[in-house]
Amino acid sequence: MRKILGLVTLLVGLALLHYLNNPVKIGKTPIPPLGKLLNPYSGVWQNAEDPEDYSDIDLTSNLVKDEIKIVFDDRMVPHIYAQNLEDAIFAQGYVEAYHRLFQMDLSTRSPDGRLSEILGERLLAYDKKQRRLGLGFGADNAVEGWQAFPEKLKIVDQYTAGVNHFISNLDPSEYPMEYKLLDFKPSAWTNRHSALLLKAMSQTLVGYEEDVEMSNALRLLGSEDFDLVYPDRNPKDTPVTKGPSVNTIKFKSQDKLQDIVGINIPSISRPRSPDGVGSNNWAISGSKSETGLPILANDPHLGLSLPSVWYEIAITTPEFSAQGVTLLGMPGIMIGFNENIAWGETNVGHDMMDYYKINWVDSTKMSYLVDGKAVPADLKVEEYYVSGLGKVTDTVRYTIWGPIVDDSTDLALRWVAHDKPDKSEFMAFVDGMRSENYDEYLKATAQFYAPAQNFIYADNNNDIGLRINGNIPIKKYRQGVTVSDGSNMVNGWQGYIPRELNPQERNPEKGFVTSCNQYSAAPDYPYYYNGNFEPYRGRMANRLLYAKDTFSIADFKAMQNSNYSILAEEALQVLMPLLDSNFHKLSSVKKLARWDYQYAANSKNAVLFDLWFESFHRLLWDEVYNKSDELNLPNPDVWVTVNLIEADKTSKFYDIVRTTKVETLKELVNLSFEQIKDSAIVTLAEEKNAQILHLTRLPAFSEMNLALGGTKHSLNAMQQTFGPSWRMVVALGEDEPEAYGIYPGGQSGNPASPFYKDRIKTWANGEYDRIILAPREEKIESPLFNIVIRNEE
Amino acid sequence: MKNSIAFIVILAGALILSVFLPWWIIAPIALCLAYFAKLSPLSGFLVSFAGVFVAWLISIYIIDSDGTVQDILSKLFNVNPMALPYISSLLGALLAGIFGLAGSLLSPKNGA
Repeated sequence: MRKILGLVTLLVGLALLHYLNNPVKIGKTPIPPLGKLLNPYSGVWQNAEDPEDYSDIDLTSNLVKDEIKIVFDDRMVPHIYAQNLEDAIFAQGYVEAYHRLFQMDLSTRSPDGRLSEILGERLLAYDKKQRRLGLGFGADNAVEGWQAFPEKLKIVDQYTAGVNHFISNLDPSEYPMEYKLLDFKPSAWTNRHSALLLKAMSQTLVGYEEDVEMSNALRLLGSEDFDLVYPDRNPKDTPVTKGPSVNTIKFKSQDKLQDIVGINIPSISRPRSPDGVGSNNWAISGSKSETGLPILANDPHLGLSLPSVWYEIAITTPEFSAQGVTLLGMPGIMIGFNENIAWGETNVGHDMMDYYKINWVDSTKMSYLVDGKAVPADLKVEEYYVSGLGKVTDTVRYTIWGPIVDDSTDLALRWVAHDKPDKSEFMAFVDGMRSENYDEYLKATAQFYAPAQNFIYADNNNDIGLRINGNIPIKKYRQGVTVSDGSNMVNGWQGYIPRELNPQERNPEKGFVTSCNQYSAAPDYPYYYNGNFEPYRGRMANRLLYAKDTFSIADFKAMQNSNYSILAEEALQVLMPLLDSNFHKLSSVKKLARWDYQYAANSKNAVLFDLWFESFHRLLWDEVYNKSDELNLPNPDVWVTVNLIEADKTSKFYDIVRTTKVETLKELVNLSFEQIKDSAIVTLAEEKNAQILHLTRLPAFSEMNLALGGTKHSLNAMQQTFGPSWRMVVALGEDEPEAYGIYPGGQSGNPASPFYKDRIKTWANGEYDRIILAPREEKIESPLFNIVIRNEE
Repeated sequence: MKNSIAFIVILAGALILSVFLPWWIIAPIALCLAYFAKLSPLSGFLVSFAGVFVAWLISIYIIDSDGTVQDILSKLFNVNPMALPYISSLLGALLAGIFGLAGSLLSPKNGA
């Protein structure tokens, strides 16, 4: 009897052990393996990090030539000291994995459509959309294209080897906390992961188009009104450059596009770039600088996340010493400086994604017509290994244009990010960080393929410059604004603009260069382009840079933190005088009349203006918004509204279609205010409720409820979850640069680390960390610990 | 006396062996100890339970000395942070206790 009881007890014990060591589901809620997770020896308790107790690490690898020393300074920034570039890049891979392995894993799973492998069925639809966009296809093509540069590719191989050296020496008890919570293991890094990172960059930065919506709008409005509501270009814009210094270029891009398909197309189910990504940069020559040498500033606006998208790193070899930030997963430093030069990027808004309507031969959709001939579609079977569900397949049709993103639309996507790169793109940031002058830097960045960026540059030899690097398709006039007819080859792109003819400037007379995602070149630039351009930040930067003769580092910091909105300034100058006198008696309107157009965190004026302007904008374009439910239409740009009310006081669009009378501008202004006058107005910070979410969106790992000012149209382009993800100001010097930088996060990806989000407060206050370049290790004051990697022999 | 020694053995065993072996090593330790030391069923359960509870609690307080992990977990599971080391230790203790009970019930001398 007792034995039986013993056996039963043993079975109960084994069952308990099983459930404590394996994930279970209660209903639909997955419960992590609690024993595995919460035991003190291999569970999450092991991820505790004692700030008083960082100890040195000694490693060996037969993949490094000489001894590498990595010194972590008191802000947890790794300073890599290596005897050669290959060793330095090995160390870069190692430290990035050391601090951010889970982030690297997740951010490459996303473009590769492999999130459902770890997160289950609820991510399958997202995964399918990602693969149908052809991100993995683009990564495969990139890796293939890279093979043409076997000598240079050794650098990527070394990066990959560095990441894998960290992973392979990792004990399960040392896995980042997220692996333990989600109960999966890190897998090996490959060069393809680095390519996926570039594809994810393309998706974030040049993954926006409105081809279908524009096609519908063209059909609804007719071409004359369409050009008025959705013009290509804001005449008030201050373009990034005057254009290339070549006067006569002969090419075909002014030809009108044939066969624009203007039909009623339903929405394509596809993930697009979020609204709010963008960046600012500017650099002044020594003549405009208080120091007598150039000063450069750059602040990319990306999704604010924990861990931050950026990782700060310093790399020193006998050849160079550089410091700055980089996205995880690529060798080199993307935004930073060395002893002589400083560099950075902002996004180029050109439309790099065009949809083509496919004309199938029959309903089996196995072949399609191009120039009257049937071409078979390539069928690619995508396999998903969904956690908790098993294998799922999805067949994607590939055409000469690209993949059919959504089977219900028969639209194929042509995207620069799909193409096999003909350049050693992975070297752009490696060769960039070790350049000593602008010619070297131009050569380095000429290798960059996609997504095209405004690369800004300044050096201590008083050279400043800016060039768009990246492949830009040559298009016909208004090509790619709408969906194109895919049955006609003549609708294809005409190759890429030669790099030397990309928009660029070097040491212009005005004494500065700047880009804030506005139009790339003056209107007489010979190549046609359209896209997604920010209408106010570029003008603000130009206004400020022209306003003074000389600038200091403090001026640049103040510019980056500027909350001034030209949109508000211009709109209110028209709207306020038209507002009825009884509204002017309201205290809120009296305050608004005195507003300085600053989107300060505690501003209620900013919230009232946004509400009113949105109401006005929607009433003005009721012709479009009324039809948005039945037709899938794009929203008109805010600058179109402002320019219209300034220039045309009698536009037919002021009429509200659903009323019998014909409204005037004045009536529209008052009606739009009437609609919102009783709304409760809180402060901008409360309205915005800014937050920095962890990649898993778990609030426990996130920073919620930040009180921040700014708007997407001010230089401090702070929105709820997007904003200046890195602010950097570098004043070049004869001997060494004086540099400042800050990002909202911390170096460590471990939520239990004191360096997980230690920088957020400084960042939120608009302050900066001083960054001290340390070409010699002795320059680092109070290092936390060292990692030494030696060759095995 | 026997129980006290058994308690110390399981406490030390949990503290030392867990560092090298899988976390559930406490289960076979409790099972074998109760079996070979011929503990009574009540002692088999309580000694294993208490030994592992104390071992885990000590370990957690040493590892997470400033309570950072505790705070994160409390937000994650919506549990009082102070309770988390105890909840964690309870899991191990319960597992060890059941195996300790099984060990003593199966022990031949005590067999029916």
